[in-house]
Amino acid sequence: MTDASGQLRSLLPRESLLWVFAAQFVVLLPHFVHLPSWLIFAWFLAVLWRVEVFRGRRAVPGRAIKLLAVCLAVTGLALTYRRWFALEPMVALLAISFTLKNIELLSRRDAVLSLMLAYFLAATLFVFEQTIPYALYGVLCLVVITAALVALQGSGSARAGRALGLSVKILAQSVPVMLILFVVMPRLGPLWAVPNNSAAASTGISDSMSPGDFSQLSKSDKPALRISFDGSVPPPEQRYWRGLVYTHFDGRRWSEPGVTGNRWFGRRFGNGQSGQDGDDRLPAVGPRYRYQVIQEASHNPWLFALATSDSDTRGVRSTGDDTLVYHMPVGSRLAYDVRSWPRESTPVASRLSPAEQRRHLQLPDSGNPQARAWAEARRREGMDSQAISQALLALYNRSFTYTLKPPALGTDTVDEFLFDTQQGFCEHFANSYVFTMRAAGVPARVVAGYQGGEWVEQQEYLLVRQYDAHAWAEIWLPERGWVRVDPTAAVAPERIRDGLQSAVAEEFMQDALLPLHKIGFVNRLRLQWDMINYRWYQTVVSFDADRQQGLLKRWLGEISPLRIALFLGVPVAVGLLGLLIWLNLSARGPALPPASRVYLRFCQRMARAGLPRRPGEAPGDFARRIECELPALGPMAARITAAYERAAYGDSTDALKQLRRLVRGFWPLRQLAKLGTAPAPRQSVGQ
Amino acid sequence: MQKIISAIVEDIGKVLLGKEHQVKLALACLLARGHLLIEDLPGMGKTTLAHALGQVLGLSYKRVQFTSDMLPADIIGISIFERESGQFRFHEGPVFSQLLLADEINRSSPKTQSALLEAMEERQVSVDGETRLLPEPFFVIATQNPLQQSGTFALPESQLDRFLMRISLGYPTREAERALFKGVDPRAELAQMTPRINSEGLRKLQGLVHQVKASDSLLDYLERLVQHTRQSAECGVGLSPRGALALLHAARAWALIHNRGHILPEDIQAVLPAVAGHRLQTDGGDGAQLVERMMHQVDIIAA
Repeated sequence: MTDASGQLRSLLPRESLLWVFAAQFVVLLPHFVHLPSWLIFAWFLAVLWRVEVFRGRRAVPGRAIKLLAVCLAVTGLALTYRRWFALEPMVALLAISFTLKNIELLSRRDAVLSLMLAYFLAATLFVFEQTIPYALYGVLCLVVITAALVALQGSGSARAGRALGLSVKILAQSVPVMLILFVVMPRLGPLWAVPNNSAAASTGISDSMSPGDFSQLSKSDKPALRISFDGSVPPPEQRYWRGLVYTHFDGRRWSEPGVTGNRWFGRRFGNGQSGQDGDDRLPAVGPRYRYQVIQEASHNPWLFALATSDSDTRGVRSTGDDTLVYHMPVGSRLAYDVRSWPRESTPVASRLSPAEQRRHLQLPDSGNPQARAWAEARRREGMDSQAISQALLALYNRSFTYTLKPPALGTDTVDEFLFDTQQGFCEHFANSYVFTMRAAGVPARVVAGYQGGEWVEQQEYLLVRQYDAHAWAEIWLPERGWVRVDPTAAVAPERIRDGLQSAVAEEFMQDALLPLHKIGFVNRLRLQWDMINYRWYQTVVSFDADRQQGLLKRWLGEISPLRIALFLGVPVAVGLLGLLIWLNLSARGPALPPASRVYLRFCQRMARAGLPRRPGEAPGDFARRIECELPALGPMAARITAAYERAAYGDSTDALKQLRRLVRGFWPLRQLAKLGTAPAPRQSVGQ
Repeated sequence: MQKIISAIVEDIGKVLLGKEHQVKLALACLLARGHLLIEDLPGMGKTTLAHALGQVLGLSYKRVQFTSDMLPADIIGISIFERESGQFRFHEGPVFSQLLLADEINRSSPKTQSALLEAMEERQVSVDGETRLLPEPFFVIATQNPLQQSGTFALPESQLDRFLMRISLGYPTREAERALFKGVDPRAELAQMTPRINSEGLRKLQGLVHQVKASDSLLDYLERLVQHTRQSAECGVGLSPRGALALLHAARAWALIHNRGHILPEDIQAVLPAVAGHRLQTDGGDGAQLVERMMHQVDIIAA
């Protein structure tokens, strides 16, 4: 048909094969982590087979073998994943199509197909990770795949330096286009949501709390939240990032019924509390704090915010427990804007509904008799809720130790902690506090979240790490509503003020392989790196439709189709024009002498009059031909030619002036029209 | 000066009817201090042209008929012992003349050919360890029969290169031939011819050739032509720098003949077939056709 399709159909140059394999390997490498191992093995096998074919040791597999391979691959996928419409099986499907294509990788067309798949697979990398290293790796993938495409052209193009060089050049040229598209390309929502893998191991606050959970978390210095404030900043002792409320205690574990699973089922509205829910509960006066939280993937739906918050970010809503949840588990980094009103400034609900009352007084039927007895005794002494709380906190303050390595507890965790070991971590304090308060008849709940945070880059944002995970308590006081009580603060106030590291000193990150946190320089470097990541996320990853609109508005004033078209069209037009001019200039070769330029204009006009100069026809011969074919122009042409000959070949400046003058006044079409002679259309005179 | 040139051309035209272009080419070749190779069938007027040139330019004219058994000494000369003086005396061969007609040069052996060609290039001969200068001006007109004819030794390319031009006279036009039939006797005309110029004047004319101007525009065109011969797939071997220089000189002489102080592209085109035709090697084909195509492919003004 055409040359191009013929070229595509032709056989793959042998040296290009290695390039195709290299591109596939580079693209598959980061996927090795979550692809099933049999698939990786299959890929190596297919490559091996193709190499054997390449060396002439084995034949290209026949139809039966190919069919068998397809069946095996599909069966393998079905057995491994058991469901189709999820992200990982889709990626695996792409990877297996690579693998199977390898055994029939014969023509250029096959290789092009394989490399196009590679581009696509390289893009799926960003579904899993969007951090800077992965972005750089993505660029590397593009370079190698493009180099492989270059190498397909054969005849020396497969040399590493040449292929890579051309590839880098091509990609560099595409950067401006990429930037423009990044800014103006409409951000479409996903057409369908492919469920992310929720079974991925998650670090962070889980849906239940039992002793030891939080000391586990304290060993991780991974970032959890990054919070940037717009306006005022809460003081350190107020930085309680509430995530989850536990109301149910089974004797050992605190949990929240209904929050497990992918979706939040625990919306308990109604029950007389609905009036307090929603925006009407929030005061009309502006929020005290406005901030944006960027949360790392937690694979759980709950979000983190200060007390009494509200968010306009899509997919985020408030629960009756005064926490925020997302409409699906947070599978990748999520940014949400929060407005918070401190509790003191919000109107207080007068009473808890009976259901809420029951919920927040729930205790197991038996267990921890000592703690119950202690609470009963205080109650009998006639103390009110606040006094009991004070007494308990005073008890903590007197004789308890804050440690990351508490002794193990038996069945009655509260009793043993309160009256025996008296050493514990935040969850021990929260656990025992809430239990005792409930036993004393005060509605109470455990709140899990993060506390504190570390400033990065002159308070640009607050970095909260996993080891800032914290558990505290809230009790219901009829006159004040829910009040935060942090029993840990009673025993280790420095934990709240200065963070975990100063509170536990020696014990902090003791199990870490390298005690890097003790070296100030490394800490600074890590904060720097975190800041770079933060900015990357802020500027690139979270550039969504809203931000796009905002940016375009700032640049264009208003967003109208005309302005967008101008914004896109003008640079493109300018670029193309520049290219055109450059091409013209570079194709022209050395500049012609002035006389020749003028003479060429004469020739152009003669061509328009129907008598073009033939290539290689000398000016004198041309003049004679004009004389012969268009006698009306003959004398003028002869004069021009004579002037040109003297100007160009005799180097006479007078002749050049004369030539300019003559040609300026030479309009053959007009002259012919005046004479009534129709221009002879390219007639060739047969003598 | 122009009068003399047109008179010369006119005079020769009386002898060699209807061959003005070839006569001018031959004259240009002479003025450019080059040698001329005429390739044609016997009886086309090669000898007449040479004879007329010698006559009208007032040059001492000698003619050598090359045969297959000729030796170099037959051309250059030989030293003979003279009994009277008791010494060897050098008897100059026919090469010691101002205009040498080497008839049917391709019938002699390569050895003899190369002896002549060496003399042409060096304008001197060495005999018995003594270098003897050839007279000035020195102009060789060699004729050769078409190679297909029997008993010929083809001139190798290196020796063809020594000739500035190669022309062929071709059959006369009908009018010329009719005039010939009607009894115009070239030999009688030849005998009546008087020199129009002496060798001093000729040398001055040759000096004037160098003063003909070649502008940059023209040199651009020349360069493009030469480049074309070197890059085109048609030409086996392109023009050498000597060939390019020859082209320029010949064009200068041609411009002088046409009374111009500068070269025009037409001048180059006029001498191009004669100068380049025998220098361009083609695969069996004729160089002349190649030159013809080349003139149409290479534009005069723009690249």
